[in-house]
Amino acid sequence: MIALARRFVDLYRFRELIVLLVGRDLKVRYKRSVLGMFWTLLNPLLQMAVYTLVFSTIMKVGVPQFPVFLLAGLLPWTLISVSGIGASVSLINNQGLIRKVAVPQAVYPLAVVASKLVDLVLSLIPLVLLALLLGRPPGPPWVFVPVALVLATAFSAGLALIFSTLTVFFRDMTHLIDILFQVWFYLTPVLYPVSYLDKLPYPWVKSLLLLNPAAYIVQCFQAPIYEGRFPGARIIAVAALSAATSLLVGFLVFLRGEERHIHHF
Amino acid sequence: MAGHLQFENVGMCFRMHREKVNTLKEAVLGRFRHLKAVDEFWALRGVTFEVQPGESVGIIGHNGSGKSTLLKIAAGILRASEGRTSVEGRISPMIELAAGFDPELTGRDNVFLNGVLMGHTRREMAAKFDRIVDFAELREFIDMPVKNYSSGMYARLGFAIAADVEPEIMIIDEVLSVGDERFQRKCQERIQAIKRTGCTIFFVSHALNTVAQLCERVLVMDHGSLVFDGAPEPAIARYRELLGLGPSATAIG
Repeated sequence: MIALARRFVDLYRFRELIVLLVGRDLKVRYKRSVLGMFWTLLNPLLQMAVYTLVFSTIMKVGVPQFPVFLLAGLLPWTLISVSGIGASVSLINNQGLIRKVAVPQAVYPLAVVASKLVDLVLSLIPLVLLALLLGRPPGPPWVFVPVALVLATAFSAGLALIFSTLTVFFRDMTHLIDILFQVWFYLTPVLYPVSYLDKLPYPWVKSLLLLNPAAYIVQCFQAPIYEGRFPGARIIAVAALSAATSLLVGFLVFLRGEERHIHHF
Repeated sequence: MAGHLQFENVGMCFRMHREKVNTLKEAVLGRFRHLKAVDEFWALRGVTFEVQPGESVGIIGHNGSGKSTLLKIAAGILRASEGRTSVEGRISPMIELAAGFDPELTGRDNVFLNGVLMGHTRREMAAKFDRIVDFAELREFIDMPVKNYSSGMYARLGFAIAADVEPEIMIIDEVLSVGDERFQRKCQERIQAIKRTGCTIFFVSHALNTVAQLCERVLVMDHGSLVFDGAPEPAIARYRELLGLGPSATAIG
């Protein structure tokens, strides 16, 4: 227990390293690209345009102001999935550093999550503009968005820690993780509101789909941003529990493997 | 006491998988294979020594003799498979100067990245920044990506950062052999100055002359064992003997 606490203190001591690794990621990512940071804003908007065309215009999902609804769920989902996919190779990509510099290795996956969190926060700007434009201006429930960000980040960080350490031991985890997130995306109420699940012919399918912790995380965003109300207490409770469990399990799994990583590169 | 370091019967065993299990399929199938091909390789075995604060200790040995493994254990990168180690005080966590450089980033960014990797805050590095750049003599190149640096410039910046981060136990590697003679002299003066502050120094090199100049004590490693621990002259003689060379005075490497 004391040993575990000491490793948290160690990690906290290197919090500035996470900041610099995020800076490194952003600088290297946007080097020599003309549009630079605009890609970060453009990417979700392009996705939003395509999904709106397919699901709202062609397939007629029947959700008013679909682009706002979609982005409210797509942005946190992207944080979860892109963090997980990016973090899964973070230890392997930083093996040069891990072999030569003794710092808590958790900084590498956590820096990936932090970098994606920056992307998400930046993407809130076009989301606000779009919401204003489509007649759903941000109201008081938006004060819940920072809380939702904390929950989504904690949830993503736990997954990132687990996937990064597993990938060191089993390289084909990267493929598995790609598939996992593709399937998980459609099972999470991002393209359709969670209320659509009530219309399912078999109630057990709904119960099954609602075991998905990501469903509660995205609802913490959809409620204030799209529906203009605070999420229900049960949704917040399940989302918080999922985030805490993910983070705790993530750290325990990661710390168990940390010393052995170096032998598996 | 800060700067004190002790190794007691330390061993480091690497399990060399003849065919590394790196995929899930292999791991699952591997459960049914009774004889997994694992070779044990002891990179270090039975190493015992103690370093007092303020000592400067050279480590020499042929390639693969266990020098790096020893330093990695001391720095906390590897955990020893057996034996006891105790390190008191802040040890530089890098076994190579410039180990944390990112080639895509500028010299300026790398100064901060390396300083923070060594446990400093950005604010502390900002205070040291000018001194580091002046020492490295890279003022006009500091905003250039380090991938465009010459190996000498790279080494200069690496040493300048390491020399300014004030560890209590400092690890210095081959870097001095890269710079030109004038910079090498400058580095040596700096190391002497650091020594006077009571910092414990580990110096790893194949440049035997420099080892003899900087260190009052030298460890000779051979195939994972510590075969000699004592004054530089007999240590170098022993090392040359191990290499099968005569006792000539010319430096190797």
